[in-house]
Amino acid sequence: MTRRLKQRWARLRAWLRPPRSLKVTRVGRTYLVVTFGVGLGALNTGNNLLYLLLGMLLSMVVVSGVLSERCLRDLTVRRVGTDAAFAGEPFAFRWAVSRKRGHAFALTLSEADTPLSGEGGVGYLRAGAEHVVRANLTAPRRGPVALTGVRVTTTWPLGLFAKTRVLALPGSLLVYPRRGYACRDPGEAVRGPVGDAGNPRRNDGTGDVTGLRELAEGEDARRVHWLKSASLGKLLRVEREREERRTWVLSVEPGLEGAPLEHRIEEVAALAHRLLEEGHDVGLDTGARTLRPASGAAQERHILRALAWLGFEDPRGDEEAA
Amino acid sequence: MRPGTRLRLVLRDLASGCAFASMAVSGQLPVWTLALYGVALLCALAGRRLFAKRARVTALLLLGVAVVLGLNVLNGALNIVVAACAFAGLISGHRLLSAPDAATDGQVHLSGLLMVAGGAALSGEIIYGLFLVAFGVLASMALALGVVEAAVPEGEPVPVRSVMPPLATGVGFAVAGAVAFFILFPRLNWNMTGPRASPGFGEPTTGFSNTVRLGGAGTIKGNPRVVLRATLNPDPGVEALNAYWIGRTYDVFDGQEWTTAGGVRHAREAMLTLRPGGDSLVHQRMELLPAYGGRTLIALETPSRLGNAFLNSTTGSRRTFLQELSGGEVRVLEAGLGYSYEAYSLPPEKGSGDSFRGLPPIEQDALLTLPETVDPRVAQTAARVLNGEREPLAAAQKLAQWLQREYAYTLELSGDVEDPLADFLFTRKAGHCEHFATALTLMLRTQGIRARLATGFFGGERINDGYILRAGDAHAWTHVLVPGRGFVTVDATPPAHRPSQGSRFLERLLALYEAVESRWRNSVVDYSFRDQLDVARAFMRPTREPESPTARGRLPPPRAWGVALVAGMGVYLVWRALERLSRRARPLEATRFLDAVEAQLAAARVPRRDGEALEELHARLAREGHRLSPVIAPVTQRYLEARFGGRPLRSGEAERLLRTLKHALEEARAPSAPRARAS
Repeated sequence: MTRRLKQRWARLRAWLRPPRSLKVTRVGRTYLVVTFGVGLGALNTGNNLLYLLLGMLLSMVVVSGVLSERCLRDLTVRRVGTDAAFAGEPFAFRWAVSRKRGHAFALTLSEADTPLSGEGGVGYLRAGAEHVVRANLTAPRRGPVALTGVRVTTTWPLGLFAKTRVLALPGSLLVYPRRGYACRDPGEAVRGPVGDAGNPRRNDGTGDVTGLRELAEGEDARRVHWLKSASLGKLLRVEREREERRTWVLSVEPGLEGAPLEHRIEEVAALAHRLLEEGHDVGLDTGARTLRPASGAAQERHILRALAWLGFEDPRGDEEAA
Repeated sequence: MRPGTRLRLVLRDLASGCAFASMAVSGQLPVWTLALYGVALLCALAGRRLFAKRARVTALLLLGVAVVLGLNVLNGALNIVVAACAFAGLISGHRLLSAPDAATDGQVHLSGLLMVAGGAALSGEIIYGLFLVAFGVLASMALALGVVEAAVPEGEPVPVRSVMPPLATGVGFAVAGAVAFFILFPRLNWNMTGPRASPGFGEPTTGFSNTVRLGGAGTIKGNPRVVLRATLNPDPGVEALNAYWIGRTYDVFDGQEWTTAGGVRHAREAMLTLRPGGDSLVHQRMELLPAYGGRTLIALETPSRLGNAFLNSTTGSRRTFLQELSGGEVRVLEAGLGYSYEAYSLPPEKGSGDSFRGLPPIEQDALLTLPETVDPRVAQTAARVLNGEREPLAAAQKLAQWLQREYAYTLELSGDVEDPLADFLFTRKAGHCEHFATALTLMLRTQGIRARLATGFFGGERINDGYILRAGDAHAWTHVLVPGRGFVTVDATPPAHRPSQGSRFLERLLALYEAVESRWRNSVVDYSFRDQLDVARAFMRPTREPESPTARGRLPPPRAWGVALVAGMGVYLVWRALERLSRRARPLEATRFLDAVEAQLAAARVPRRDGEALEELHARLAREGHRLSPVIAPVTQRYLEARFGGRPLRSGEAERLLRTLKHALEEARAPSAPRARAS
């Protein structure tokens, strides 16, 4: 089934979905069985006290329905979102839920009709106050996830039934590739006058001096701080803010599909993370898109976003990412 | 443990306790199960979950208990329903002592439900209703707190105070709904089981034996327990009936105790006719309660017919038969906890109608029999008091007045003395009703006037539509045989000391309980399809009472107030709903127009950013030089004017603008056709 068909099917399901859905919990099933038994007993024996008990059990069911409906009414939910969502691992997600009037109890929030698993809960929602619900969601794979609505469920008041309402709230979430460990070497660094490293022929780092340490075996003697070495009587080398800064351009080979593509993307993401952490400049070449080498967290986010979109439709703008 | 969790567990345990108590009030559960459950509940409330780490081992205990109960059932020592209820209680106790987790909570509540269902099968007491409601409230609160607690993130407090008010409202509605369901749900089986009885608390305190012995010790006159209920037709309508309710008579006195000559007259009858009646019989629907403790039927003096007896036991009611013994005593053949029957009695002002010749010979002889050891001063005193009076009734009344005047009433018994009558008449000069009745009867006999001793109850306190008798109302009096009238009641006991002599406070308390319990029994336990028809009939065609001149100015009946109240509430709710509907902000014409424009733009897939307003869209398209910009411009302008500029859309203007926009959008979407080139 193509992606477009899937989207249409999701839309159709959303359109056909009843305004409320009701599910009997485990306790509720037992409760209903006992109620049925008491009803049979009352009809069979004519015992009025059993009729009274049956009436109480049934009216509890009705009251349960009414109170849960009151909880789900007049709810407003907006997505606060997440900082970064990586596939295969829980990430913090937040919704802001509020109610103009009346209180709500025992609400559970989750994303409807998405592969995202996980839910967040709020025990008591005060009228007029916005409450931020936190949840640890997990996405099974990378890529953009179309969000259609937020599912709000309550088992209030007795936990017999779980009543659910889906609040339509379109949006999207970009899931970055799974984080892992890069086994392969990033390859030869690109050498050239790129970035702000100054003379690329000098690989002794840039920036301010951050410390001194003893020169190890085989290290470049040009890094020796001669004055301090002389005063202490041993060879000390200089450590700078950005050590050994180099430039890599990572690439995802065109033509890859399926598992090899995913594997390569995850590997590139891991490499990029490692290199950027080490202070290097990293660029990306996916064939369809090229990112100039740069360093820092912003560059890592750009790379992750590009990798997340790889194989999907082009992003329409930065604002679509979470 | 969070504060809310602790409260939830206490509520859960208390709910279980109420459920168990709803069974325990029947008095049928074995005492050892009461003790075991009680210990379990106390430990649980103290927070000591003794079985938390020994769930499997302690489950074996339950198995052992099940075996013991099963053996009791097989031996016939225990009813299977009672055994099942007891086992449910012990399971609940075991769960109370287990580690509190979600599964345990569910099991405690489930066993609680089973216990209240078992309580309904075992008991029809009003206390059951109280425990049922308490269980419903407490269990609901515990469940609701559990639901909220599960949704509250770890480390945050459970908002107990916020949960309670809406939950209390919900539970209130649930109880009201239960009552409505109870009233309206059609009874298809006509309440075949009828009223049930449970042993109640304490041993039965009255009843009838084959003798009345003077002396001894006891406090029966001060006992306020209700032993009998009666509904009379025609209803006297008085608060204090002050009537004599006879159980049996005695005719042989041996100096110490009264006995009856003769034996069984009728062995097994459904309806017994003691003496011919008439058109003016007083019909009584009687119920002997477990506190009565005897099998002798009681009826208003003087009974004519008794029958239609039912035996009430813990398992239900069944028809039973009667036997007639000497002394006019009628007994139920089988023993039960309580009995209900019907009786017809002659009007109180008439005599019994018995003739001396109509009595069995053995009774005829006994009516003048004196004990061999009777003190000669008795006859001398009687003759002195009567002073030649020979007419039986007048003589009896004269002697009775003399006794009331000269002798004191006391509940302090004399103990065992050789001649109780002489001790009463000449030594202590004080006694209770049996002394007075014995003295009068024997004094009459010494003067050749036939008389006998009667025992039963005196009084009748009105509760709702009927009357009750207490154990302390037990009484003794004298029957004097009057030619042409039969036996006539003459009571030598001072009038103030005839009814119960118990504590007024206790009597009032019990009367209040009895009134509530009577309502409960009539409205709940005995509620039937017939009552449902009556309810429906009362609403569809209210019964009209004949108007009396004094009733013209009275207020409407309570039913009318109730209907008016319900109707008023209905009108108020409808008004509130309508008001809310009218208050709801209706979409303005301009807003509807905007919605239609946005729908067309969305259908035409015009690129639009999230949250981008129409004017922002127009501004952006204009900046970008989009070809739809000129089309959207007039629409945007008119919307803004209509919405904020005070220039509402004219009639048909919106449709025209939308039509234009639609055409423009369709043209913009259509692929541009190659232009024909003029040659």
